[in-house]
Amino acid sequence: MRTLRRFLVRVQALFLRHRMDADCAAEINSHVAMIEDELRRQGMSPTEARREARLKMGGIEQARELHHEARTFAWFESLVQDVRFALRMLRKNPGFTMVAVLTLALGIGANTAIFSMVNGVLLRPLPYPEPERLVRIWETKPGSPRNVINPVNFLDWHDQTHSFEAMATVDGADANIRANGEPMAVSALRVSTDFFSVLRTPPYLGRTFVAADGMPGQNHVTILSYRLWREQFDGDPSIIGRRSDVDGAPYVVIGVMPESFSFPGLKPQLFTPDALVRDQSSEGGRYLTAIARLKPGVTFDEAQRDIANVARTTERLRPKFNQGWSATVIPMLEDATEDVRRPLWVLFAAVGFVLLVACANLANLLLMRGTARLRELAVRSALGATRSRIIRQLLVESLFLSLAGMGAGLLLGLVGLHGLLGLIPASLALPRTESIVIDSRVLIFTCATTLATAVVAGLVPALRLSGSDPQKALALGSQRSSVGAGQLRILRLFVVAEMTLALLLTIGAGLMLRSFVRLISVNPGFNTTNLISMHIWTAPSRYNDNQKRSQYFGQLLERIRNTPGVESAGSIHFLPLTDRTSGSCFDSVEQPPPDVNSPGARFLVVSSDYFKTVGTTVLEGREFTDQDSIGRPSVAIVNHAFVQKFSPKQDAVDREYNVCWTVKNPVRIVGVVADARQTALDDDAPEPTMFISNAQAPMYFASIVVRTFGDPRQVTRDVEAAIHRVDPDQAISDVQNMTDVFSESVAAPRFQTVLLLIFAGLALLLAVVGIYGVMSNSVSQRTREIGIRVALGASASEVARMVLLEAISLGTVAVAMGILAALGLTRLLESLLFETSPTDVTTLVIGSIGVLVVATFSAVLPARRAMQVDPMVALRHE
Amino acid sequence: MASEESRFKVWQGTLDLISLRTLQAIGPQHVYAIATRLEQISEQPLKLNQGTLYSALVRLEQEGCVKGSWAKTDSHREAKFYARGRESARTRSGSLAPNGGVGVKGARGTGVTGDW
Repeated sequence: MRTLRRFLVRVQALFLRHRMDADCAAEINSHVAMIEDELRRQGMSPTEARREARLKMGGIEQARELHHEARTFAWFESLVQDVRFALRMLRKNPGFTMVAVLTLALGIGANTAIFSMVNGVLLRPLPYPEPERLVRIWETKPGSPRNVINPVNFLDWHDQTHSFEAMATVDGADANIRANGEPMAVSALRVSTDFFSVLRTPPYLGRTFVAADGMPGQNHVTILSYRLWREQFDGDPSIIGRRSDVDGAPYVVIGVMPESFSFPGLKPQLFTPDALVRDQSSEGGRYLTAIARLKPGVTFDEAQRDIANVARTTERLRPKFNQGWSATVIPMLEDATEDVRRPLWVLFAAVGFVLLVACANLANLLLMRGTARLRELAVRSALGATRSRIIRQLLVESLFLSLAGMGAGLLLGLVGLHGLLGLIPASLALPRTESIVIDSRVLIFTCATTLATAVVAGLVPALRLSGSDPQKALALGSQRSSVGAGQLRILRLFVVAEMTLALLLTIGAGLMLRSFVRLISVNPGFNTTNLISMHIWTAPSRYNDNQKRSQYFGQLLERIRNTPGVESAGSIHFLPLTDRTSGSCFDSVEQPPPDVNSPGARFLVVSSDYFKTVGTTVLEGREFTDQDSIGRPSVAIVNHAFVQKFSPKQDAVDREYNVCWTVKNPVRIVGVVADARQTALDDDAPEPTMFISNAQAPMYFASIVVRTFGDPRQVTRDVEAAIHRVDPDQAISDVQNMTDVFSESVAAPRFQTVLLLIFAGLALLLAVVGIYGVMSNSVSQRTREIGIRVALGASASEVARMVLLEAISLGTVAVAMGILAALGLTRLLESLLFETSPTDVTTLVIGSIGVLVVATFSAVLPARRAMQVDPMVALRHE
Repeated sequence: MASEESRFKVWQGTLDLISLRTLQAIGPQHVYAIATRLEQISEQPLKLNQGTLYSALVRLEQEGCVKGSWAKTDSHREAKFYARGRESARTRSGSLAPNGGVGVKGARGTGVTGDW
């Protein structure tokens, strides 16, 4: 109680300083006066009495100190003093302050932006209850570690495993929904009825699926996304129970999901139930994905083992289809971020480097600034400031600079983040862009970084400056603005470190650039000029058998071909460069019917004239024609790689194969085409591919490709109109120019390359500032020496060369260290590079030369100053 | 400067208590009077830096054990007189300096007691 009272009174004393100071002074003065009086009474002379009185007091200042310490929090007051002083110093030197704050803002801002991305994508848990128990299930076989799954296998896992609370399949598709009149194609998910039990997100309106929704006759129910509900149904609160046409059939809306609901990697607007049945037709084909929730207490490894076990059982049950296949579970967050993890951490390391360079710059700035104040610090020391007090003062200045840098950096980071998010292509180079914001974790990270910067950058100068001998410092003339030899060594050390880091970043950026240039120079195997594509998904209710679909596609293509401006048109089921492909098995007719052990190839379903439309050369034989229709003998086309691999010695054309595809076997090869890239430009090697005729084995969906004579834009509208003349309810989506598709397929590497180039540029910029500062200082310090040299006959150019040489020698050391470090570190980039070695010599050489040039360039102005040194002035200079 | 041995290291708590006891004995007084009294009653000449008493008295005042007010002394000087406040002093359990303590007549063991 007493201590509390004391504490409060002390706090109060902080605010009543002046009054208390006056009171204290009065009291002590009266005390001393009384001692004096007594001493005079004892016979001392007034002067003696005064002196003796002070001695008895123990010193007036000391008494006041003790009084002060007891009555308030002295450390706090001195801290406030430090803060005030720091602010005053910073205000008095606006140039220095601005450079320092800007340097820091760049470093901290870049880190904040990138960490926001890392946080939003990699660190934040998925937005579902208990997300760490969610997993994705894949089938695996050697060579395909994450393969889509088969529904009957899924049912076996569902029935026979015991580690999972719930399991569901997910099938991404486009759905044609008619709302307010116009049909529109939306991204939709067909999910088994347990889907929402796995994710456990409650609906915003209505309900989610239950088992009964999977029953035939009751499965025309649908759940909408929040966005679809607001945009297409006007946010009508009585939406539940309303009917809407989905894919041409009436569906009842039973629920709306909350605004924040999403599924990793997709933005589904609509959910429909998928009933999984064990029947003949489901036993073949892998095309679904699956998610599951682990039971509480079940570990991940247990679940892995469990499902692998059951997979062995299914292998025995249906060996023709499952031999060699197993199943695996992967945590859902890990699965969703697989492709971007390495690139993001690389970017994070890169900005870390930039920040280190900024720290080194700040340390140098503080050191150079501090030595101008050596005299002041010496005086403080002489007046009784302890070393730790001086260090604390200097750290407070450093902290203030860092705080200012943090403020500016946060703003920069915010702006930068917006810019970055705009650069991120819509094709989802990042799987979870909706959660990239500057949240509390990012702010904490920024504060921690700022604090660390203040300490790291401020400590060495503070230690250095406070440790200088006050006597020596006082002896120096007050005009001296340069550093002593010891300090110069530290400056040089930091500068070399800066250049090394800058070199590393430059090399990294250079490698990425080379890789990217090689990537976009890849010949895709087709011609993208004036080529447009659009995606259609046929309504299953309207075109529910092969005959109808085949006819429909035929009509569509005929109308499109007749549209003015269209040179040719065709279709393919998976558009190239959209990261999708299908594969299947086949065997020659002489062999038994193919199964899982037979040779495999890539399978694509194309229409007549497809190759002519996209510009892939037909090497032998012919394309599909309208004669290759349903009912006629099955035909197929293969690519060059296929011939190389499977029939190198003989003619491919006219050979017959049995294929594991829903087409009437056997198929006869009628043509060979040149190789083309399918999933992405960096496909490893052209894959053997077999093309099936869409007329004979029509898929539910297709990407129509159209080559136009001129500017595609007007023709696009006419083509869409032509399609609608065949079926007015056909929804069309993803209308794109193939050049855009091409460009988007390399959006991720482009993004990384651009960012690394920016960071390398930043680091080099900061290094320029740093080197300039140190060289200036070096010249100042050596002014006398230069004066002597000039007086002894050195020419201006010799003097300049001396300065430049110093810069170059620092650069050389940095280059040597940088190359060593690069040889070790760049292998981390290997998975990001395309046809470029991490130790690519050209890049290393160019990077090194670049850094040397930068070093030299930064030293030009100081060199000029050196050249202008007047020996008369210099020799008098202290 | 007085010789070092005669200047005992007086511990914080002790000085507070001694000051309080002194005030108890001599009634409201100013710092100089307290210091003079301490010098008088110490066994060995207590060369106390009189300024150190301020630490103790400020603490006591903050805790409420004493209350200060300005008044005139006999010789018409303005001085701050300290009187016993509302809070009473409990015997502090802090120990005295290892060499026996303050050397005040009557002081023994831990805590300061005795007639003053």
